[in-house]
Amino acid sequence: MVKVDKRKLYHLDWYLIINGFALFAIGIMNLVSATSSFYSGSFNFIIKQLIAFSVGIVLIGIIINFDYRTIANNAKLFYFISLGAIVFVLVWGMAAGGARRWISIFGISFQPSEFIKPVMVVLLASILYEKKRDKILLGLKDVSIPFLWVVVPFVLIVLQPDLGTGVIIFLVFLAMIWFIGMKKSTYSVLLSLGITLPLIAWQYVLRPYQKQRIYTFLNIDSDPLGVGYHTKQAIIAVGSGKFFGKGYLQGTQHKLQFIPEHHTDFIYTVFAEEWGFFGSIIFFLLFITFIKRCMKISQQAYDELGSMIAFGLASIIFLQFAINILMNIHLAPVVGIPLPFISYGGSSLISVLISVGLLLNINMRRYMF
Amino acid sequence: MKKKDNNPRSDMFYAEPRGSEYEKVMKEKTIPDKYKWCKWVLIATMIVLSIRLWHLQIMQGNEMRQQSEMNRIRIKKVLAPRGIMFDKIGKVLADTRPSFNLYITPEDIKDFNETVDGLSNLMGINREDVIDRLKAASGFPSSFPVKIKDDISMDELAKAEVNRVYLPGVSIQIEPKRNYPYGKMMAHTLGYVSEISNEELKHKEYKTYSPGDYIGKYGLEKMYETYLRGIDGEKRVEVDAMGREVRTLDMKDPIPGNNMYLNINLDVQMVVEKALEGKRGGCIVVEPKTGAVVALVSRPAFDPNKFASGITKEDWKAIATDKAHPLQNRVIQGRYPPGSTFKILTSLKALEDGLINNNTSFSCGGGFPFGNRVFKCWKKGGHGSVSVHRGIVESCDVFFYNVGLKLGVDKIHSFGTAVGLGKHTGIDLPNEVRGLLPSSEWKKKTYGVPWYEGETVSVAIGQGAVWLTPIQLVQLSSFVANEGVAFKPHIVNKIIGSDGKALKTFEPVVAADIKMKKEVFKIVKEGMQGVVNEPRGTAYGSRIQNVHMSGKTGTAQSTPDKGRDLGDHAWFIAFAPSEDPAVAISVLIEYGGHGSSEAAPVAKAISESLFTVKPEIKEAMVRGQSR
Repeated sequence: MVKVDKRKLYHLDWYLIINGFALFAIGIMNLVSATSSFYSGSFNFIIKQLIAFSVGIVLIGIIINFDYRTIANNAKLFYFISLGAIVFVLVWGMAAGGARRWISIFGISFQPSEFIKPVMVVLLASILYEKKRDKILLGLKDVSIPFLWVVVPFVLIVLQPDLGTGVIIFLVFLAMIWFIGMKKSTYSVLLSLGITLPLIAWQYVLRPYQKQRIYTFLNIDSDPLGVGYHTKQAIIAVGSGKFFGKGYLQGTQHKLQFIPEHHTDFIYTVFAEEWGFFGSIIFFLLFITFIKRCMKISQQAYDELGSMIAFGLASIIFLQFAINILMNIHLAPVVGIPLPFISYGGSSLISVLISVGLLLNINMRRYMF
Repeated sequence: MKKKDNNPRSDMFYAEPRGSEYEKVMKEKTIPDKYKWCKWVLIATMIVLSIRLWHLQIMQGNEMRQQSEMNRIRIKKVLAPRGIMFDKIGKVLADTRPSFNLYITPEDIKDFNETVDGLSNLMGINREDVIDRLKAASGFPSSFPVKIKDDISMDELAKAEVNRVYLPGVSIQIEPKRNYPYGKMMAHTLGYVSEISNEELKHKEYKTYSPGDYIGKYGLEKMYETYLRGIDGEKRVEVDAMGREVRTLDMKDPIPGNNMYLNINLDVQMVVEKALEGKRGGCIVVEPKTGAVVALVSRPAFDPNKFASGITKEDWKAIATDKAHPLQNRVIQGRYPPGSTFKILTSLKALEDGLINNNTSFSCGGGFPFGNRVFKCWKKGGHGSVSVHRGIVESCDVFFYNVGLKLGVDKIHSFGTAVGLGKHTGIDLPNEVRGLLPSSEWKKKTYGVPWYEGETVSVAIGQGAVWLTPIQLVQLSSFVANEGVAFKPHIVNKIIGSDGKALKTFEPVVAADIKMKKEVFKIVKEGMQGVVNEPRGTAYGSRIQNVHMSGKTGTAQSTPDKGRDLGDHAWFIAFAPSEDPAVAISVLIEYGGHGSSEAAPVAKAISESLFTVKPEIKEAMVRGQSR
């Protein structure tokens, strides 16, 4: 491994590390409660999550050894590796819950669509870097080339079907071109597309179950036995937490297995039920401060490249956090988006830790000349 | 990579380091603008989330809390019905029936004493019993329903249902229950199921069981537990605050246990049951050519249905302390001196070894002086000059005293062991006993003293240190019927999976196969035929019209119990028809008296039912054998 300059290590962002670790620790604690009702008990879940965490830490160690500019130089390589894995999953991947999202190698299954999120950010940053540096406001043509890079994995992921991840990478793309700045004409074209595309998607892309979720979102009682019922139970779980919650391990909603995926996408309901309003606000603030810190890294980055990557990664974490919580409290329709650091799932956790590695990388090289 | 670090200019991102004054100004002008936007987005998100949470958790909190307490989902076990047991031609011997079982779900109890006391008053259940049962399940989640009473009556059901409101946590489930339509009949063969005990639950091998589960504890139910037990299903049900099921959300169907076809022929079984009615003893009927067990009866018997519906303490005590030992399967667990039936074994070995032949005769004057005592023959006046044929037919003891001395105990032991006596026959029932076939070595080992020849004299006629089970003697009978071969007795014929396909078919297994002279079997068979069919034969009273049965009676002295003589054990072993044996029979009547008057009529009834009274059964038997 390449030796790290001691000076750079000194510049590790300990604030980000501690903030991130606090979230992870809450995640593990919460996961114990969420999985305690499973027939097999919590043990296996916790072990797997800790293994994923260790893998992520090793990856952080590797990532901070390489200058982020070097990494950005190889962005296309990582992109094609991730894309290949997604195609592989789509074609040969094992069917799980009607969706093909996982690859299983030596019994360890992972979800390649999780890994393309940070890769996409680095790639977009490396493509758009020069425009940003030269303060060129993006025209339609400038936008369409990076769009092509995005649209391929987007379509593949939506086909899996993993609408949640698809939505995230698409939104991140929008966030990044917004960050660089666009011509007025570009804004207006995007706006009109923003109105027409959803209609087309509704007609041709969305699967019946995905549509059902949107119907259900609009009218929770339209599906009292399926998604609507679960959403209702999720709200009851959150609401029943009241101000101080029912207490750790005292939640009843998830224990009695009301809420599907209560250890992954709906894990916040477990936390809200047990820790109440008070705990939730602290919990949200930990996320907000983490994202603010990411923004600060973006702001202080040595060059536009670092600044863009940091911004993109911050966007991913923010979007996942916001959409996940909104869907948990019935302010957004149900899409499969995990809560960073908190949801059970090794691929998701490792992907987040890769982002953390890149952020630390950018931060510790901010004074380099 | 390091190389690139040293030469940054080779890289596009290193080409134009930032820093010109103009750019800095530009950055500060445009970018902070975007960051400001970001800050506002974060603040807005926080505000939206907080308002929504305030709405849900504070404004609607009480209502939501109430709802969460009101409605619950439970995962409930759906018991798999146990496999059905059929007789050979498909008559049901053991099946399942629906039953109402009373449960308590600790989670739903509001006031522990109110529920427990209420229940014990209402149903007459002991309070301690309820608490014991709840304790046994303490390792399970509180939403796990704990079974309190099995198979409650309609009256109790009505009481419980009416009072449900006052008994939060009490629920009633309809579940499959083992049912033995013939009650005591075949109790020892089929065995019984009973609730798994707390001790068993601690064992690793029972880790798939939970409190309240039923498990085979006796007979075939125990032997074939893994086959008969199905795989329980699960259903997700929504329950209300009282623990009542509101609706089933989804269900994983249970997989029923595998069905078993037995070799038992219900008609023959019924004949034997009837013949042993009111007696103590055992009888087994096998097909000598396959080892298939056609009928097996042990008396007195117990009612397995009592166990299956949660036996009460009183009933259990009555059965366990009954001096007649109804739980003992006398056919495989009763050890008795075989008496004169043993003379068959003695004859076979002596003839085979050429120690005697058809013409050898000994004189019987009613007694046999040996050492300082006289061994008596059962016939006080004596039999006069006796050959081996008459020895068997009239069961002359003195003849066999002489033969026994010529043989010596060790030859009897080794030959008997080879035939299958004094060891497990390997029948598919649990807890078979070995019995005892003595040898000089055994005595030396056990008592440290040498074998006395006087003891051989006793052993030769099946007394003394010989202890055999009825099933071992049916092996001896089969061995003669087959002229040197005996098969392992087997009750189960085949196991059929829930998909209707045969999971396992049991082929005959040879248990004994000894090459012997044809002549030997001819002499012994003629002797055994004479026992039943010659006027002087000891079982002449049990001869049958049209069909020849061969057999050997035995009247074995029992060991006095506390100085009190309880009488002799009556034995009869047989096979029929003599010419081409289709069944081998062993009958024991405990303290029954004479083999000829007590045991032989049972074999007669069996053979009659098979070969003369009901010809269609005979046909079925023949068909069964050719299968």
